Parts: sequence; structure tokens; C-alpha cells
Amino acid sequence: MASLTDPLGLLRDAAMGAEQLGRGLLGQERIRLAVTGLTRAGKTVFLTSLLANLLAAGQGRRTLPALEAAAGGRLRGVRLVPAGIESLPRFDVAAHLAALAADPPAWPGRTEDLSTLELTLEVERRSWLGGLLGSRSITLELLDYPGEWLLDLPMLSQDFAEWSAATLQRLRRGPRAEAARDFLAFVDALPAGTPDDEALARRGFILYRDALRHCRDRLGLRFLQPGRVLNPGPRGEAPILWFFPLPHPEGSGLAMLLARRHAAYVADQRDNFFEPYFRRFQRQAVLVDVLGALHAGQEAFEDTAEALAAIAAALRYGGSWLDRLTGAGVDRAAFVATKADHVPGRQRDALAALLGALVAAPQNRAEGAGAATAVHAIAAIRCTEDDVVTLEGRPVAAVRGVLLRDGRSARIYPGEVPLRPPEPGFWDHGFFEMPEFQPPRLDAQGVSGVPHLGLDSLLAWLIGDLL
Amino acid sequence: MSDPPKGPRVILEDDQPQIAPRLDFGWDQAVVPVVPPNPPSRWSGFGRAAAGVVVLGLGLGALEAANFTAAQFTRGAVQGWLTLGVVVAGFGLIASAGWAELRGLLSIRAVDRARAAFARGDLEAARSEALRWAGGMAEAAPLQPALRQVGSIAELRALLEAGPLAGLETQANALGRAAAVQAFAVTAISPSPGLDALVFAWRGVRLVRQVAALHGLRPGLAGTVALLRRTVFDAAAVAATDIAVDAAARALLSNKLLEQFAGEAAAGALAARRMLRLARVAAEACRITPPR
Ligand SMILES: Nc1nc2c(ncn2[C@@H]2O[C@H](COP(=O)(O)OP(=O)(O)O)[C@@H](O)[C@H]2O)c(=O)[nH]1
Ligand SMILES: [Mg+2]
Repeated sequence: MASLTDPLGLLRDAAMGAEQLGRGLLGQERIRLAVTGLTRAGKTVFLTSLLANLLAAGQGRRTLPALEAAAGGRLRGVRLVPAGIESLPRFDVAAHLAALAADPPAWPGRTEDLSTLELTLEVERRSWLGGLLGSRSITLELLDYPGEWLLDLPMLSQDFAEWSAATLQRLRRGPRAEAARDFLAFVDALPAGTPDDEALARRGFILYRDALRHCRDRLGLRFLQPGRVLNPGPRGEAPILWFFPLPHPEGSGLAMLLARRHAAYVADQRDNFFEPYFRRFQRQAVLVDVLGALHAGQEAFEDTAEALAAIAAALRYGGSWLDRLTGAGVDRAAFVATKADHVPGRQRDALAALLGALVAAPQNRAEGAGAATAVHAIAAIRCTEDDVVTLEGRPVAAVRGVLLRDGRSARIYPGEVPLRPPEPGFWDHGFFEMPEFQPPRLDAQGVSGVPHLGLDSLLAWLIGDLL
Repeated sequence: MSDPPKGPRVILEDDQPQIAPRLDFGWDQAVVPVVPPNPPSRWSGFGRAAAGVVVLGLGLGALEAANFTAAQFTRGAVQGWLTLGVVVAGFGLIASAGWAELRGLLSIRAVDRARAAFARGDLEAARSEALRWAGGMAEAAPLQPALRQVGSIAELRALLEAGPLAGLETQANALGRAAAVQAFAVTAISPSPGLDALVFAWRGVRLVRQVAALHGLRPGLAGTVALLRRTVFDAAAVAATDIAVDAAARALLSNKLLEQFAGEAAAGALAARRMLRLARVAAEACRITPPR
């Protein structure tokens, strides 16, 4: 996105680079941590756990031992930056925690809007001489958003014709074609040069929207565009969304109308979502629900990989001489398999290995731009304990948890997690959806943070060098 | 070995009661801090060298004095006793100065402990520090019963900040204004910038000590240095106070008489602003609650 053709953006980059340098010298760094992940990857829960555990660690609780160790025990305090004059809602950790701790517990609902929060880590300086300068403060900027919107990122570089061709091609593949049968029949019947009839446009949009919803909710697919059709945000559906891919995207009439809406939509997402929040970030955590994708079948698994690759290709990792000059670029990107508590301890390494195979393309992209990368398996909120069940006459490792839907205790055998993207035969057993678990007993004030698996090592790797 | 069973599955536990209790990992207990975080403070090479010089100076001095006293006793009882008196008086003075220094430093450490307790949200520690502090302050002593009863850190903090700390802040600002006027006057009439700097430094040190005394601290030399260090280098505190200082300086200097000087007194105005700021930041450094 940064190029010589965008002098304003370049200027902004340079200004922000200079500001960051100045802040670094003063010992008041600001770091933007971009948490990217598709819908249901666990972003909201991850942010909630990260905030709760960091705040608890700031109060002296040993919730994040690996991070404490990385900081050399010099973490003096963690504070939420008080609200200023932001126009975005604040990420409501307290409410999420209270809902998780309540009886019966509730997970955060579907995220429908952007929300932000900033956190200041107060760290003592390393040396006695540095102590003369007082402690350092590192401000972490965090953002929560609907995961569906992330898929609009690859749309930024396509015009309506390109987008139509790519989208229709994807839609005609595999099980999507079945889900989108009505829509495909409808658009295939539209000849080139169809007049811009409002009723037609509405009809096409509704068919397209239903196809997308079907793909997301029943097939577990993620590479679905545009994101705001699936999750319109706080203002609801607006005419700007009423477009869909056309087989004959050129010319006047309906094609022109849809192309105008497409262009306006892309511009809107760029100005209000990507430019302010994803143009520049220093650290990135890419959250992936690996097991969910695996259990949803081959199509969903490959779709997840494709979606992650497309997003990474559209994100700015820096690395060009221009980026170096303006101080833009990502230093570290962690690829994180979430909900690692869905598999017993022995299988978590396999989960991380499988994730490594799944995100090979995004990882290459980040490394190519000079960012350090790592693969982690974590559970933001640990909801299970390891157990053993006997299946077909032999004991296998399983997990035990309390089911969210009826409060009954269940043991779950998650299958063998393959180390590599599995052979086609692997998927013969069909679609399986991991049940939702109740979170463990939590204290509602969140003074002690929340139980997690591996969150501390992840944070130590992501931000430990800053402390 | 046969292949592991294919495919995931859910096995409901039928022998269990219908509603199972939520899992409990005993997390609250597991994360309780074992030892209060205490950073290893390293002795720098310079610090060790300085300590060595002091030990050598004092130790050899003491040995020398002892030998000399013994020798004097062989000369005669009167000389002996006189020498002993002189030696004891001399070393006694040094020791009492050291003790005063130590107490000054310790009183500043106590401020640090109180602040850390507030920052950690450790109500009991913060309360006991606040009580100890209030015990030594005439302004805050009546607050002690109320302090004993507060139920939360926020309450404790609000009580202190609304009462004695607000009063102390006003007094510290008054001290700052007095110092500012003096600094302004001196820089306006002094013949050389070098002298300005000297006067400013001397007045600044005195101001910091005055503010510390106001807060019930008795900073010795080392304590003053520690305070100055904080006062001068706490960039965050300085930035936060700048706005307040701006307003105060404008109020102080928008005086008809002073405006006459305006041209050549730009340096004086700067010095006055610095004094005001110093007073505020020093007060900030001496408070037993951490900055917000
Ligand atoms: N067991 C378990 N479930 C999780 C964890 N994180 C998320 N989940 C589940 O995944 C669902 C979606 O998470 P959420 O954070 O809302 O996803 P988002 O769409 O990326 O914000 C939650 O409702 C939980 O049921 C975890 O660490 N452990
Ligand atoms: Mg969410």
C-alpha cells in the first residue's frame, strides 16, 4: 500500500516514524499489536484474557510467568490508559469477564463493531544508571473488530471486474456451488448490459447474502467477501453493500451500478478500517482456530489457508527501502493456534506443527519482509483438563470439560491431530463441530486474571524484547 | 499396534449428575505472589569504588586514631583522656551525620514502599504505610481513624488526596511561587548568566528540601540527591505538570511591574517557570500515592 504514488501516506509514515523514535528515546514507546484472525478464531476472548492477565500481573499476581521472566522481574505496574476523546467504543474487558464468570457463563457475543483499548506497562530500567531516568512506559494499542471484515483487505487491490471474476470462480468450486446454487442460477441468467433495475439488484444481493451465510455457518468457510454483508456493523445494512459479483461485470446498466457500489464500499473500508488501524503496526498475532478448520473438512481447511494467505498478501509488512526510511514495518509476527485446550497436552505440539503447515504462505510473506515469526499453540481461557477414554478397546488421550449448552460434563476425543495437512482419506468421517465449553470458575473482578495455556510464552515472544 | 480410532467424538458421562460443577484449576491460589517483587539492585563499578574509598578513609582513620590514642595514654593519663574525647567527638559527629543521612534515605524509601503498595492494589500494605505517614504529620493525624476503616484502595487514595495531600500541594505551590519570584528577581538584576545558574541551582536545591520537609521527609544529602534525580528526570511527571505550570506562571508574571522587565527578563521568566515546575514535581515525588 505504501508507494511513491501515495505521498500523503508516505508523509504520515515518516511523521509516525519520527514520533516513534522520539518516544523511544524518552522511554515512552507506543506499540500497536495487530490481532488478526478470521471469524470465531478467538480474537475477542484472546484480548479479554490478555488484558485480564496483564492487569493482574501488574498487581503482582504471577499470571504470566514467562513474560515476567522476559522482563527480568522489572514489570512495575500495568494500567489501562484512561478514556480520552476517542470516537470508537472502548473494548469492555470488565463486562466480558463478568459474563464469563457469571452463572450460567456466557462467551462474548459476535463482535459487531470496532473497539479499542490501550494499556501502559510500567517497566523499571535495566541498569542503575538507567534508573536515573525513571521507569519506562510501553503503551500497547489493541483493537477488536469483526473477523469477517478482514477479508475485505484483499478487495482493496481489485476493481469490480477482477473481483467478480475471482469471486465467481471460487463460488463455483466444490460445496460452495451447491450452497450458492440459486444465486449462480440468477446471475448466469443475467445477460450483458442488463439495465440497472433496483428490484434485480436487491434480489441478487439477497441471494448472494444467503449463499455467503450458508457458506459461513454451515460449511465453516471463511473466504467470503464482502465482509460487511455477513456482519454489517452497528449501522446495519446500507445500499453501499448491495452489490454482488457479475459474470459480465463491464458495461453500463446493472454492472455500472454494482461497480459503483463496489468502489464506494472498498473506499469506505479502506478509509474507516484499514488505513487507520492496519496501515502501521509493529507486532502481529495471527489467530487461527486450527482444530475448527480441520474438523470442518478439507474444503474449509484449504479455504482457511487461502483466506489467511490472501490477507497476509494484502497487509503491509514493510521491508522495502521506503519502509525502512520511514521506519514502518512489522518486527514480529506470531502465528497462534487458539483453543489449544481442545486437545490433550500431548497433542499441542502437533497442533502447532499443523498450524505451521497451514500458514506457510503468510509466514513466508512476513519473513520475506524481515519480520521474525514463530508458531504457538495457546488457550486464552483454559476450559478443559486432560483425561483418558477407552475407544474401540484401547485407551486414548482426551479432554474433559463442562458443556456450555447443558452444563453436563463430557469427555472429548479430538481425533489424532496430524502434523501436516492430511491426506484426503483423513476427512472421511465427515463434519464434526467441537462443542463449546463452559469457562472454568473465575472470579468476577478479575483480580487474579484467568487460567490460560501458553499465553505467557506467546507474550514473552511478542513483546518481551520491549520490556 | 493398531491405528488410533478415527474421527473425533464426544463421550457424555452418564454416571455424572446432570449439572456438573464448573472446572476449578485453583488458579486464584496458584497466582498469589510468593515474595513481593524485589528487583536485584546492582552495584555499579563506580559505586563499589566509592564505597571502598569511604571504608579505607574511615577505617584507616579509625585505626590511626586508636593507635594515636593508645600512644597518648603511654605519655600520660590527661593527654590520653583528652585525645580519646576528641576522637570520640569527631567520629560521633561523623556517625550522627551518617545516621541522619540514612534516615533521610529511609524516609524516601518509605514513600516508595507506599507507592508500590498503591500501585499493586495491596490494601493492607498501603493502609499501614498511610497510617505510619499520617502519624508523623500534624495535618494528617486526625485522619487516622478514617484510614483504619476504608475498604478499598480507591477509597484510601481518595481520602488522602482530598484531605492532607491537597493541602500539601497548595503549600508546595506557595513555596514554588516564593522561589519563583526570587529566581526571577535575581536573574533580572544579576550581572552574569553564570551567577544566575549558580543562584538557580542553590535555590532549587533549597526548594526541593523545603517541599520534602513539608511532606514529612528529612532528606539528608543523599536523600536530596535522590529526590533531585527524580524531580529532574521524571519526564512523564514533568510533561504532566507543564500545563499547570503554564497557567501559574502566567498568573504570577502578568503583573504590571514585572511586565516592564519583559524584554530583558525573558531569562528571568524562564527561571521562574522552572522553579514553579520544580516545586510541583518535587511535591509529586514526595507524595505517598503514585501519580495518576
Ligand atoms: N475452550 C476454549 N474455547 C475458546 C477459547 N477462545 C475462544 N473460544 C471459543 O471460541 C468462540 C469464539 O471466540 P471469539 O473470541 O468470540 O472469536 P472472534 O470472532 O475471533 O472474536 C468463543 O465463544 C468460545 O466458545 C479458548 O481459549 N478455549
Ligand atoms: Mg470477536
